[in-house]
Amino acid sequence: MTTTSLLKVAGVIGCAVLGSCARQQAAAPAPSPATPPAIHYEAHIYPGGRQPDGPALSNPVRGDANAAKNGALLFTAMNCDGCHGGDAGGWVGPSLADGRWRYGGADEEIFSSIYFGRPKGMPAFGTVLGAPAIWNIVVYLKSLPAPPDVPTETWE
Amino acid sequence: MNRNESRRPLVTLACIACLAVALPGAEASAAPQPAAQEDGQWPMPAKDYAATRYSKLTQITRANAAGLRPVWTFSTGVLGGHEGQPLVVNNTMYVVTPWPNVLYAFDLTKEGYPLRWKYRPTVDPNALGIACCDSVNRGAFYADGRIFYNLLDGHTVAIDAQTGREIWKTRIADVAAGETTPMAPLVVKDRVIVGASGGEFGIDGWVKALDAASGKIVWTGHNIGPDTDMLIHPDSFKAPYGEGADQGANTWRDASWKTGGAPVWGWISYDPDLDLIFYGTGNPSPYNPEQRAGDNKWSNSVLARRPGDGTLVWAYQFTPHDNWDYDSTGAMVLADVKVDGHAVKALVHFDKNGFAYVLERQTGKLLKAGSFATLNWATAIDLASGRPMLDPSKQTGISKGNVKGICPSLEGGVSPASPPAYSPRLGLFYTSANNFCMDYQATRSSYLKGTPYIGVNSPYIAGPGGHLGALIAWDAGAARKVWEIDEPFPSWSGVLATAGDVVFYGTLDGWFKSVDATTGKVLSKFKVGSGVVGNPITFRGPDGKQYVCVYAGIGGDWALLAGDTRSDDPADVRPPIDFMKQIARHTSQGGMIWIFGL
Repeated sequence: MTTTSLLKVAGVIGCAVLGSCARQQAAAPAPSPATPPAIHYEAHIYPGGRQPDGPALSNPVRGDANAAKNGALLFTAMNCDGCHGGDAGGWVGPSLADGRWRYGGADEEIFSSIYFGRPKGMPAFGTVLGAPAIWNIVVYLKSLPAPPDVPTETWE
Repeated sequence: MNRNESRRPLVTLACIACLAVALPGAEASAAPQPAAQEDGQWPMPAKDYAATRYSKLTQITRANAAGLRPVWTFSTGVLGGHEGQPLVVNNTMYVVTPWPNVLYAFDLTKEGYPLRWKYRPTVDPNALGIACCDSVNRGAFYADGRIFYNLLDGHTVAIDAQTGREIWKTRIADVAAGETTPMAPLVVKDRVIVGASGGEFGIDGWVKALDAASGKIVWTGHNIGPDTDMLIHPDSFKAPYGEGADQGANTWRDASWKTGGAPVWGWISYDPDLDLIFYGTGNPSPYNPEQRAGDNKWSNSVLARRPGDGTLVWAYQFTPHDNWDYDSTGAMVLADVKVDGHAVKALVHFDKNGFAYVLERQTGKLLKAGSFATLNWATAIDLASGRPMLDPSKQTGISKGNVKGICPSLEGGVSPASPPAYSPRLGLFYTSANNFCMDYQATRSSYLKGTPYIGVNSPYIAGPGGHLGALIAWDAGAARKVWEIDEPFPSWSGVLATAGDVVFYGTLDGWFKSVDATTGKVLSKFKVGSGVVGNPITFRGPDGKQYVCVYAGIGGDWALLAGDTRSDDPADVRPPIDFMKQIARHTSQGGMIWIFGL
């Protein structure tokens, strides 16, 4: 298969799981030169204590059980598990199930990580997946049972 | 479930199972005796083209090795898995780190071995997410005053060994297509032979030859696909088993070879008499075998090519239609071995699939195969057909569901990252070995360029006896284990053998050991601060003394499996892996170079 047709296949997977492809296109963020990007790149320190202005992203399917189910399917179908491990428990990519986040754990921060990618090899899935599919993955990841944050490992 | 039985004290864990078997001493005298001179250097990954990792230095012997002590250390400042080995040439030691692939040149003539220079290339950090198994680099190659090595992001560089100045840098691979380049090049005459990883990304695997002077790509030979891709010319190619044109394409249903993997991430050896290079290819992609019906040639194979123009001369496939991720990228050791009373010019290979093979290296004909590790996917290798005799209950695929208890695991009976050594004096091979098994549940995988193309869930379980690793001495001609040292954890170190009849290796829990090559008795051991996944070397210093050098620095697959050995990322906290809950108790990351002497 050519790369193009494979991308189509991937798109079809996303569309089949999530419904309208047109909706994906429409919902993708469209930054203009006048608008600062709606990305909290990571949890910043704000000089003077003031956070820069920017448009807010909000998750249209926050907490939706169906979205979580779709997100789980996409997590496998789009090969996310190939790097982040089964159940997002970590592999060559970091665990997404430990309640800890390199680039922030707010819905819109996770969205930005998937849509635009991150350094050290996290691909930018915005084009193949589109915004609605990514929100579903966000909901799935946020639905994973957060382990009690026990930073101590013992062997005795 | 925790089936790890590694709670026993280390002292007993390091116990020795010296099998009371006579050494093949008589045969040893028939083996070719090493040339008289030993220059005490280590100019290429395996010291020599035959990939023996054997040095004729004799100051350190089994009589005095108990007195070995650390004489020098250096932190590389890098935390990734320290596979590979240093080079020692002209009283300079060269060390390549894992990503970001710093090259250090240490002056061995001065006290404390200060740096002469260091070279810090630009290396794309995106390669870290495409490399399947940590940020490893398997080493450099010295030739004609230059150091050649691969950067993880698909580049080869040539560096002036005197000045550290970059002579050329060539892009050889495409990270965006899933290709990364941790393997060590081999330089033959004016050719730098390189390959790429990506068996987890559905690459179209290859080797390339660069012109050593200019870095220009001279030829590219694919490991899969039609004869034209593979550099098979009319009458140039004769496989010892299986005939016909375009086997590299016809043995993959629905042209699945196009995303078929067969990467090159291990070692290359060279026979100057035959003028052939030998290298192993990795797994076919994806891991779910039902998406690629057929033998899937020439994945999991050894290929013999002419270094000058890349012409393929022969190929032999160790694991046809791989169901288990049994890459064959481990070293191809060239040795004269006595098989059933006949001395043969052999190629000896310890495969991930648990069998040790002896091939005739001129033709690829199979002469001997025997299991060196716990295995059950096949009962034997049929010498007439060259094919494994499969256990039908251990075949995998989506339609097979979750297939339980397959040995070895997809980490292999030995990791190809852990090359063996061969002592021509004793006629014995020495290799790390693993003793764990797996369940294998194949899943459908969709190819999407630049993302993983795998398709399996595969938890691991300890093998019989509960120990997860071992160092073994192996008589290849007889396919017989001579002695074995059990290790509590998987064994991921390469091996060094010397004419002092001492064998050196390291353990995943961070011990560096010297061993009597004839009996397997441990002569010395020292805790080096992090698990050893690199390969020891030995050299003669400017002071005339023999030294042994090894990297510490757990990683490679163990950065993935034993995520709790990491301490560098507070945003990535993982529970211990269920089959090996103790490892993080004994080691964490850390890149160190250690030199030992008497």
